[in-house]
Amino acid sequence: MSTLHLVRQSAFATNDFAQCLSVVDHQDSIVLMDDGCYNLKHSLMDSLIKRVEGTLGIHVITSHAQARALDITAEIQHIEMSDVVELTFNHTKVITWQ
Amino acid sequence: MTSSNIKEISDLSPDSGLAIINSKAPFSSNNGKDALDVALIFGSFEQKVSLFFQGDGVYQLIANQDGSLVSIKDYLKTFSAFEFYDIDDIYVCQQSLVNRQLDENFHINDVQVLPSSEFASALNCHKHVLRF
Repeated sequence: MSTLHLVRQSAFATNDFAQCLSVVDHQDSIVLMDDGCYNLKHSLMDSLIKRVEGTLGIHVITSHAQARALDITAEIQHIEMSDVVELTFNHTKVITWQ
Repeated sequence: MTSSNIKEISDLSPDSGLAIINSKAPFSSNNGKDALDVALIFGSFEQKVSLFFQGDGVYQLIANQDGSLVSIKDYLKTFSAFEFYDIDDIYVCQQSLVNRQLDENFHINDVQVLPSSEFASALNCHKHVLRF
């Protein structure tokens, strides 16, 4: 049972991302989209990357990050909106954090 | 915050007019666009307006953004019109920038980055406040 987490809110404004990380499992994937892209620069993301050491897929929608003038680091996979479709099929369920 | 601080800023702008606080990120809601519209309307009626950027609102000022990538009409470009509407007092909360690991690299000039106490003093010398 794996879950795809769609994170759409800034962790600087809401605690949705913190709640997401409290239930995330090692076989899950996270997609940052819309204001969720701002979480790339949040301390929660730094500690998440250290904690999972590559076992968890962390993705960001390239155009959403680019629109916000955010740099994407190497630990994060750049994807397009069309790739989200495939991710939904590869996971048992989807949770949207918004 | 000290009373001398408040006095100092009040002396700089005795009739401080309207303060508009921007607290939301630019692309996921209409708040930023609405605040901009209100600021320009007040400006065109020669009412004095000061702009405050706090929390996620600071993202509205960051350089190299492109709303067209997410199919949004980029109202941020209109910020460069502020000087023609005599909107000169633009304040940014320094702590909000630090929390978000943002540099002071803005897409408009003459932005004043203030530490929390001075940001509060600047806001508190305004009689009317709208928050978006």
